[in-house]
Amino acid sequence: MSLNLVCMQLLNGIAVGMLYALMAFGLSIIKGLLNIPNFAHGAFYAVGAFVCFSAYERTGSFWLGLLCGFVVSAIVGMAIEKFGVGKLLASAYLFQLLLLFGVALMLEQVIILVWGTTGNSKSPPEFLQGAVDLGITLYPRYLLFITAASAAIITAVWFLIEKTKFGAYIRAGIDKKEMTQALGIDIDALFTLGFGLGAGLAGLAGGLAVPLVGVTATMGTDMLSIAFVVVVIGGLGSIYGAIPAGLIAGIVQSLVTIWAAELSTVMIYVAMLAVLTWRPQGLLGER
Amino acid sequence: MNPKTPRRDLLLRTALLAAIAAVSPLLMPTKIAAEILICAIFACATNLLIGYGGLFTFGQAAFYGLGGYAAGFLMARFGLPWPVPLVAGLLMGAVSSAIIGAFCIRRTGIYFIMMTFAFNQMIYYLAYTFRNITGGEDGLVGIKRPPFGLPGMKPLNLDNPTYFYIFVAAIFLVSVLALFRIVESPFGRVLVATRENPRRVASLGYSVSRVQLVAFMISGAFTGLAGALYAMLYWIMPIDAVHWLSSGYVVFTVLIGGTSNMFGPIIGAGIFIWLQGFFSTLWARWPLLFGAFVVIVVLFVQGGVIELFRRLAGLLGGRERAGAS
Repeated sequence: MSLNLVCMQLLNGIAVGMLYALMAFGLSIIKGLLNIPNFAHGAFYAVGAFVCFSAYERTGSFWLGLLCGFVVSAIVGMAIEKFGVGKLLASAYLFQLLLLFGVALMLEQVIILVWGTTGNSKSPPEFLQGAVDLGITLYPRYLLFITAASAAIITAVWFLIEKTKFGAYIRAGIDKKEMTQALGIDIDALFTLGFGLGAGLAGLAGGLAVPLVGVTATMGTDMLSIAFVVVVIGGLGSIYGAIPAGLIAGIVQSLVTIWAAELSTVMIYVAMLAVLTWRPQGLLGER
Repeated sequence: MNPKTPRRDLLLRTALLAAIAAVSPLLMPTKIAAEILICAIFACATNLLIGYGGLFTFGQAAFYGLGGYAAGFLMARFGLPWPVPLVAGLLMGAVSSAIIGAFCIRRTGIYFIMMTFAFNQMIYYLAYTFRNITGGEDGLVGIKRPPFGLPGMKPLNLDNPTYFYIFVAAIFLVSVLALFRIVESPFGRVLVATRENPRRVASLGYSVSRVQLVAFMISGAFTGLAGALYAMLYWIMPIDAVHWLSSGYVVFTVLIGGTSNMFGPIIGAGIFIWLQGFFSTLWARWPLLFGAFVVIVVLFVQGGVIELFRRLAGLLGGRERAGAS
């Protein structure tokens, strides 16, 4: 085992971890605003991936594909909030959980109906193909792009939430729902937009993953599990907990691949166990 | 409320459960009836957490799967007497739920739900990875139902559908009666109290987390037992049984039947298995229909359906309902 290999896998882990972070960040926003675990999050990821794939294939533009993935996932998310979850906020909590469960079941099948069960793949656009020489190792350009793009998107959303008026509403909605409403803010619209934002981020993660892993009908379920684990590792104290947690999951998974590739998914859960043993509330959770 | 259930109610309840078990195979193929009873044990065990403990678990399939794998592995590899795989499933469920429960009950609300989900998927990926034990994606195959025998009795071949159904029905009867007994015991009362007001329970000197952990273990044990029976039912333990969707299905089963007593989940199991069968004959993409059904129920007829079954369960459960809710 060489140092180069470890460096390479570390960089891979960061790239994949940033995707996980993006995915779980969206889940965190939805959880923070509506206080629900979004079981349909994996489906939004898959929708984003398939829409990006189709748009990229038709138009030849990866950027347009990413945009379409984001927009379609966000619209589907907003529709589900507006006509589903939002209507149930006053009823028993278990109904909200079951609604999301039902929606997740439906979306997964709709994806199969539209795109079929056979997977597909697509290489990155030309300027992102090939490798760059990082001095220690040659490294695929597309993985660097994933890291940079995810970091840029997360920073943009951070800016949106922390520095804009809309973001202030979102933060207020997460911290004190009744007070936010009492101040005359349309909390229903805020919930819809927040859900759309979270779903859109999952869609973007899906789009970014297309040149890396292709599209398969089951891609949503695998990612849903990872997003939940990442949020559990991050803790519920802050919506930003998902970001370091995503990186941890990605890096652990990639490094384990060097020694025991077949255990790489299981190791994410071992990392979760380790974190929970050390901090039952998660990394950034509050007591 | 009288802490002791009157003998008449006990008899009535036993008779009702026996009647359910006896009439079901007359209305449908025995295999489907057996599947309903197995699903009913699973759902009743889950209801101990959801209905009585107020613990919204979305990871119960982990214990169902582990119980099924433990029992199935023993039945596929070794020809052990019939109680061994059942006890193995039960113990596997109890031990695994004690470990997973110890992590989960330290948190409440949405974090609890997300943790149960994450642990469920941990077990799923373990089952997926260690295919030499679980069969991975193909499922654990080659399961042989052991012959049923008691001392001084000629062993019965459980591959006979009627014998197998009676075997399942007997375990169903014992399990559900035991769960009824548990929720009416002082422990069950304290569990309901932790749902209603955990701080008050703690101030009375009970350890809320210990009560919840014991509930987790009891629920896990019966869930594991149901998993062991499921492994026998089709001579195969499919990996789908441990998938998180299976946890979602059982929550739906519990909810549609009603959570206020243990008859609800039994009715729910009948509805769920029937719906699943019905939808899957209509279309290969049946989860789409099922998902749509779930969405429609929770959005539009939630009061209606639940109320309907609550009333029905009230009729069946007689006076117990008042005590449990």
